[in-house]
Amino acid sequence: MNTGSLQHFFAMGGYADYLWPAYAVFFIVLFVDFLAPQLRRRRLLRELRGRLARKAARQPRQAPTPTEPV
Amino acid sequence: MSKWIPLWLHKLSSPPTFYRFAGALRPWLLALALLTGAIALYGGLVLAPADYQQGDAYRIIFIHVPSAWMSLFIYGVMGFAAFLALVWRIKLAEVVAMESAPIGAAFTFITLVTGSLWGKPMWGTWWTWDARLTSELVLLFLYLGVIGLYHAFEDRRQGARAAAFLALIGIINVPIVHFSVNWWNTLHQGSTIRLLGPSTIAPGMLWPLLTMMLATKFYYLASLFGRVRTDLLDLESGKDWVRTIATGGTLQ
Amino acid sequence: MSRPGLATACAAMLRRDLTLAWRRRGDIAMPVLYALIVTMLFPFALGPEDTLLQRIAGGVVLVTILLAMLLALDAMFSSDIEDGSLEQLVLAPQPLALMLAMKILAHWLTTALPLIVISPLLAGMLHLPTAVMPVLVLALLLSTPMLSLLGAILVALTAGTRRSGMLLALMLLPLCVPVVIFAAGAVAASQQGLPWLAPIAWLGAALVLLLVLAPLACAAALRIALDA
Repeated sequence: MNTGSLQHFFAMGGYADYLWPAYAVFFIVLFVDFLAPQLRRRRLLRELRGRLARKAARQPRQAPTPTEPV
Repeated sequence: MSKWIPLWLHKLSSPPTFYRFAGALRPWLLALALLTGAIALYGGLVLAPADYQQGDAYRIIFIHVPSAWMSLFIYGVMGFAAFLALVWRIKLAEVVAMESAPIGAAFTFITLVTGSLWGKPMWGTWWTWDARLTSELVLLFLYLGVIGLYHAFEDRRQGARAAAFLALIGIINVPIVHFSVNWWNTLHQGSTIRLLGPSTIAPGMLWPLLTMMLATKFYYLASLFGRVRTDLLDLESGKDWVRTIATGGTLQ
Repeated sequence: MSRPGLATACAAMLRRDLTLAWRRRGDIAMPVLYALIVTMLFPFALGPEDTLLQRIAGGVVLVTILLAMLLALDAMFSSDIEDGSLEQLVLAPQPLALMLAMKILAHWLTTALPLIVISPLLAGMLHLPTAVMPVLVLALLLSTPMLSLLGAILVALTAGTRRSGMLLALMLLPLCVPVVIFAAGAVAASQQGLPWLAPIAWLGAALVLLLVLAPLACAAALRIALDA
């Protein structure tokens, strides 16, 4: 690859200091927006599984078979 | 009401059905978003020529304008869902409205920051109180107000209805703010800087812009579906179908 | 026992709220003192130079009064929620919107009117030219009821939540932007010798609209908030 043209590309006619942070904000904010619900979902399922396991452990006194979380 | 709503739409509003539907669609939406986004970026950053007046700085419009459009579009979707939620109390509409708010706020924030980063090299100022930017800022506060109100309630469904009401009030406010700031700018001369696009929209600049608009729409749907699915799990956590999913089963 | 007429009910509601407010007369002084103190801070912050203060006087007085009203808004329904009389009002046969309109009127009379009365004093402290003061008072007379009406909707919406005053401000202030723009704009126009009737007319039109719609929206908001 022609490093001269790559450098020229990144320089963006001298406006690199404004352009690239703008694009960075775009990608970072949308990435966080995408990631946050994933984390929430994982936490939610973990809590739910824990609650179910505790409930199953409480109920049959004879032979408690807690559901194995996947 | 059930006479003119098709059966499949009615079925779709049932949480487990929507959960499956959204889950199936989401990977495709994400793939489409990334693909069209990549094409748009290549077209905008590499192929499109530099602007006559603004040089390469104008390339910010390829993310600024779609973000601005999305910030308004999402508010419209949120308002429509809010209307459905308030009038017919459809649980799915409540969830769609509430989960659209953070995505809309994200796009509004991006619009303001990228607009600021564009304004500085072009017009020498980080901020200007013109009608469009000011309305965008008010829009951000409207989104934050909806999110804040939603989380202030113990009962999530009641919170969703209250926040939906606020969203509908806010919808009327945005054009009013735009109009009043326009008037205010005519009163206080000397502070008006009109934000313009590049000197002309050449076709080489137009198609990446439109493609990016498409990409952001796909992204919004992908993100929304993910959030709605998670929220449905939370709201319906006592139900059987959620238990099936939590223990690793698949829905019928 | 025959049901009282609508006018009687309205008068009764108004009298009740005004009597209750009068029993806590000290509270009426609070927003006034707040406005005085805040207005006083501006010369300390910006320096006593006449021309500077004169330019900001109209806007500062307006925003200060807005913030003072914001602080007092919480109290509009709080005591009635606590003792359950608000729920009784919702269940009463009288139209809820009209009853709420009377409550809003009582709140405006006890909160905004004292502020409007001292507004020439506040403006004078910041050297607003006396010729402009009538426009300021007129702008306040038209804009403060709108703040009360809009605020009432939002306070109704948050009735009974663990809300903070900050959340109310966050929700209310964006809605108040057009009101502030036109009210302050009228004062600024008058100060610059320009015609100020247009923004005043806009305020008047908006006020008429809100007078009709806001109580209805407030009733709807209250029903959403109280419907547990």
